[in-house]
Amino acid sequence: MKLDPAIRDQVLATVPSLRAFAISLSGNVDRADDLVQETLLRALAHIDSFQPGTNMPAWLFTILRNLFRSEYRKRRREVEDADGRFAETLKSHPEQTGRVEFNEFRAALAKLPSDQREALILVGASGFSYEDAAAICGCAVGTIKSRVNRARTRLSDLLAIDNVDDFGPDRATRAVLAGGGRN
Amino acid sequence: MTTGKTVNLQPPPATENKADEPEAMGKTATHRKAEVRLGREVQARIGQQLRGMYDDVVNQGVPKHIDDLVRRLSDQDDGVA
Repeated sequence: MKLDPAIRDQVLATVPSLRAFAISLSGNVDRADDLVQETLLRALAHIDSFQPGTNMPAWLFTILRNLFRSEYRKRRREVEDADGRFAETLKSHPEQTGRVEFNEFRAALAKLPSDQREALILVGASGFSYEDAAAICGCAVGTIKSRVNRARTRLSDLLAIDNVDDFGPDRATRAVLAGGGRN
Repeated sequence: MTTGKTVNLQPPPATENKADEPEAMGKTATHRKAEVRLGREVQARIGQQLRGMYDDVVNQGVPKHIDDLVRRLSDQDDGVA
């Protein structure tokens, strides 16, 4: 049986966001593309378990996250290293107000525990509801809210933003230095 | 970029803050209240940075090898081996 082109197009439409999520999880573009490819192979092999009319992005994100997590357990050491590389793997955004500021941001994001970073990205960047994010991560809605809250607090802390006008690199650098002693 | 997404980026109610956050310790309630208000702007800024980074990848679209893969598998009889 051939795949319904409408379903196929839904899958394809999700790929860009799925890649962004995979990069944020794995910290590595090549590995992220492998992860996306593996996710799509599994999804298409089990497309019958997808109910048309339900949330295709959430379904694919769930598969990708589960794949990543099971691999993570196997290759823990390698993935830990990925945290350090995360900040370097993404190109800077041309519309960012300042490159230095943006680099500080990426470095701070890379310092978050992976479950907090994942929750923040699902809700704050992928645009999922707390409910969908909870379903994707297989945890309670309250857990997602708590992780997102902690991620935001930690980011503010790392960037030492206590005033929007004071978002400069000097303060951020000081915050990173100050934060280092606490870990 | 849609402003609608900003809804997701509002800071949480103070009651949901966890006590294990380092900065929650040793601060007065008044101080904290002021931080919550200021926090809205800060969180909006963080959200903006986050989406900028994410959308950078999203805007790259579907890589050709992935597009080919999906189309090839979609046309196969009985799905994937």
